Amino acid sequence: MSAIGELAALRRTKAERPKPSPAEQGDNKAALVFLAPWFAGLALITVGPITASLYLSFTDYSLLDAPEWTGLDNYIAMAGDPRLFTSLRVTFTYVFVSVPLQLAAALGLALFLDRGLRGLPIYRSVFYLPSLMGASVAVAILWRRIFGNAGLINQILALFGVEGPGWIAHPDYALGTLIVFNVWTFGSPMVIFLAGLRQIPRHLYEASAIDGAGKARQFRSVTIPLLTPIIFFNLVLQTIFAFQAFTQAFVVSGGTGGPIDSTLFYTLYLYEEGFANLHMGYASAMAWLLLVIIAALTAVNFFASKYWVFYDD
Amino acid sequence: MRQLPPTGRGPARGRTTFRLAAVLTGTALLATACGGGSGDEQTTIRFSWWGNEERAQITNQAVAAFEEANPQITVETESIDFESYFDRLSTSVAAGDEPDVITMGGAYPREYADRGVLLDLAEVSDHLDIGALDEKALSNGRFDGSDYGVPTGVNTFSVIANPAVFEDAGVEPPDDDSWSWQDYADIAEEISAGTPDDTFGSEDPTQPDTLDLYANQRTGQGLYSPQGGIAIEQETVSEWFEMTTALEEAGATPSASMTAELAAQAAPEQTLLGQGRAGMKLAWSNQLAAFREGSGDDLIMLRAPGETTAQGTGMWLQASQLYTISQRSEHPEAAAKLVDFLVNDPRAADFIKSDRGIPANPDIRAHLEGDLTESQEAEFAFVDSMSGLVDGDFVIGPTGSTESVDLLQRTNEAVLFGRKSSEQGAEQFVTDLTEAVS
Repeated sequence: MSAIGELAALRRTKAERPKPSPAEQGDNKAALVFLAPWFAGLALITVGPITASLYLSFTDYSLLDAPEWTGLDNYIAMAGDPRLFTSLRVTFTYVFVSVPLQLAAALGLALFLDRGLRGLPIYRSVFYLPSLMGASVAVAILWRRIFGNAGLINQILALFGVEGPGWIAHPDYALGTLIVFNVWTFGSPMVIFLAGLRQIPRHLYEASAIDGAGKARQFRSVTIPLLTPIIFFNLVLQTIFAFQAFTQAFVVSGGTGGPIDSTLFYTLYLYEEGFANLHMGYASAMAWLLLVIIAALTAVNFFASKYWVFYDD
Repeated sequence: MRQLPPTGRGPARGRTTFRLAAVLTGTALLATACGGGSGDEQTTIRFSWWGNEERAQITNQAVAAFEEANPQITVETESIDFESYFDRLSTSVAAGDEPDVITMGGAYPREYADRGVLLDLAEVSDHLDIGALDEKALSNGRFDGSDYGVPTGVNTFSVIANPAVFEDAGVEPPDDDSWSWQDYADIAEEISAGTPDDTFGSEDPTQPDTLDLYANQRTGQGLYSPQGGIAIEQETVSEWFEMTTALEEAGATPSASMTAELAAQAAPEQTLLGQGRAGMKLAWSNQLAAFREGSGDDLIMLRAPGETTAQGTGMWLQASQLYTISQRSEHPEAAAKLVDFLVNDPRAADFIKSDRGIPANPDIRAHLEGDLTESQEAEFAFVDSMSGLVDGDFVIGPTGSTESVDLLQRTNEAVLFGRKSSEQGAEQFVTDLTEAVS
C-alpha cells in the first residue's frame, strides 16, 4: 500500500480507535518532547516568515526602509500587471507540459527497469542522478553551454548541415528547452514508480494470465489501476515542485527570465520584484497568490482523484 | 542614469534563502555587538565590494596596509560578483546587518540615500577628508546638498577597439575626432565581412549608457532630467533601434539570439570583445584592463562616435564607484578612516591603482603615474585627454532607475527578434522607464 493509501486507511479507522491507555499517553508525552526541536524550527523558520509575508503583502516595503501599510493596493496592482500575467502563462505552460511528460518518462523507464535486468541498481542510480543534480546551479550552467548558440547540440546538428537555433536564447525555444530540462529530472518519480510496481501482487498477474489476458491487457487492467495511488502521489508532488521551479530559469536566463520574458517563471518574477526592484510588499502578495494557486490545484487534484485513483484495501 | 561601469549588467541576484540566513546572522551579530567594547579597544568594521578575484586580492592588500597603519581597527572584507551584489545588500539592509563601508555605483547611492540608509559624510569629516577630490566626481555622491558617497575614481564611457581584429579584417581604424554613428555602422559591417563567421564588428551596443550618450548628443539631455523624471524622447529611442536593427540585419552585430545569449553572461571576459571576437564595444574605461587580459590583445580606447558629427557632445566623466558608510554603523569613525585611507593614501593606491577608475585625488594620480602597466597607462592617457573634451552635463538616475538595465534588455530583445517595431519598442521603453522611476 502506498503512503497515500495508508493515509486514506488511517482516516477511515481513526474514528473507531479506542482511548489510549495511560502507558500510551506517556509515550505521547515523550513523542512531544522529541518533536519539540522540530516544532521550534517550524515556528521560527516556517510559520514566522509566512506570517510576516502575509503582513508585508499589505504594505509598501522597499527592504531598505520600514514597511508602510497600504491595504489591498498590492493585490489590486497585480490585476493590472501585464508581466504578472506573462509569468503566469509561462509557469502554467511549464507545469502542464513538463509534468505529464516527466511522469510518462518516469513510468516508462520504471516499467522497463522492473523487468528484472541484471545490474538494476546501477541503472537505477544512473537514471536517478539527474534528479539529484537537476536543481543545482552547476548543472544549469552546463545546460546553458550545451544548448547555447555555439553549444554541443548545435555543433552536432552542424555535422548534418543543420543550423540550430539558440535553444535558450531564442524566445520560441527557450521555454521548451527548460521543459526538456525538467523532464530529464524524472529520476525521483521513477524510483517511486519502481517501488510501486514491486508492490503489485504477483498472483494478480498469474490469475489474469490464466484468464487469458495478454501483456497489454494486464498492463491496462492490473498494473495501471494498482499503480494509480502512486501516479497520483507523483502527480501532486511534481506539480507543486514545477510551480516552484526557479534555479534553472534563473541561471539559464541570467536572472532576467529572458529572452523577452519567455522564461519568466512566476518565482523568478517574484524574486526580481522583491530583491532587485525592491518591491518586497508586492513580491509578498505574489507569494500568497502562488500559495492560493498551488493549494487550489492540489485540492482539484485530490477531488478528481476520487474518480480515478484505486485503493486496494 | 549612468549605469554601473564594472559589468554593465542589471540588478544583481542571489538566493532567496539568503534573506533568512541574513536575518539569522544579523540577530546573532546584533547580540554579540551589544557586548562589544568601545573607546580605545579593538574595533571591527566590515567592508564590501563586488568584482573578481583579482580585485579582491589587491583590495585585501590595501586593507592589510590600512590595518597596519591603524592597529586598533580590524576590517572584515566581503566581496561577491556584481550580479548578486545588490540583492545581497538589500537583504542585509533589511536585516539591519549591512557592512559599515559599502561600495556602490550608478544610481544605487541615491536609491539608498533617499531611504535613509547612508551616513551624511559631514558627520565624520574629522576622519574623512574629501577636499582634495575632483568636484565633478564628488557630485555623483551628492544629493540634496549632502555628500553620501566618496568617488573611488573617475571613468568615462566610450569605445574600446581591438586593432588586431581591425587588421585581420583589413579595415583602417577610424579617426575618432570626426567619426559618426554611420561610420561606426559601416566599419562594423566591414569588419564582420572581413573576418571569420564567429567574429563581429561590434556587439549590439544597446544599454542604458549608450542611450544616455546618444540622446545627449542629439538633444543635450540624457535619459533623465535633473528634476528626477525621464528626459529622453521616444523619437530618439526609435532612431536608436532603427540603427541597431539595421546593424543586426547587415551582420555588423551578432544575431538577435546571440545578443540575447551574451546578455545573460556579462562579465568582461565573457563578452565578444573579451574573447577577441569583436572589433569594437562601447564600455567603461576602467574595464580596459579586463578586456585586454581576456582577449590577449592590446586594445585601445576611442572617442565615442557622433561626438563631433551630432548636434552636441555626449561623453562624460563619472565616478566609477563610490564608497559609502552605513547610517547604522557602530563605528562610523573607523569606517571613515578606512575610506579616507582608500582614496587619499598612497599606500592603498599602490595596490588598487586604477582598478576602480582613475583616482579622483590629483596627488594620488601623480603618485601613480610613474608606475603603471601598459593598459593602465592607456587608460590614464585616454581619460586625461577626455577631461578637456567632455561636457559635464551629468544627471544621475532617480530612485527606481536601477531597473533600466533589465527593462531595456527586454525591449531590445523584442525589437531585435522582430516582435516589436522600433517605434513600439521606443514607446514601451519610455513608458516602462517612466513607471519605474515614478
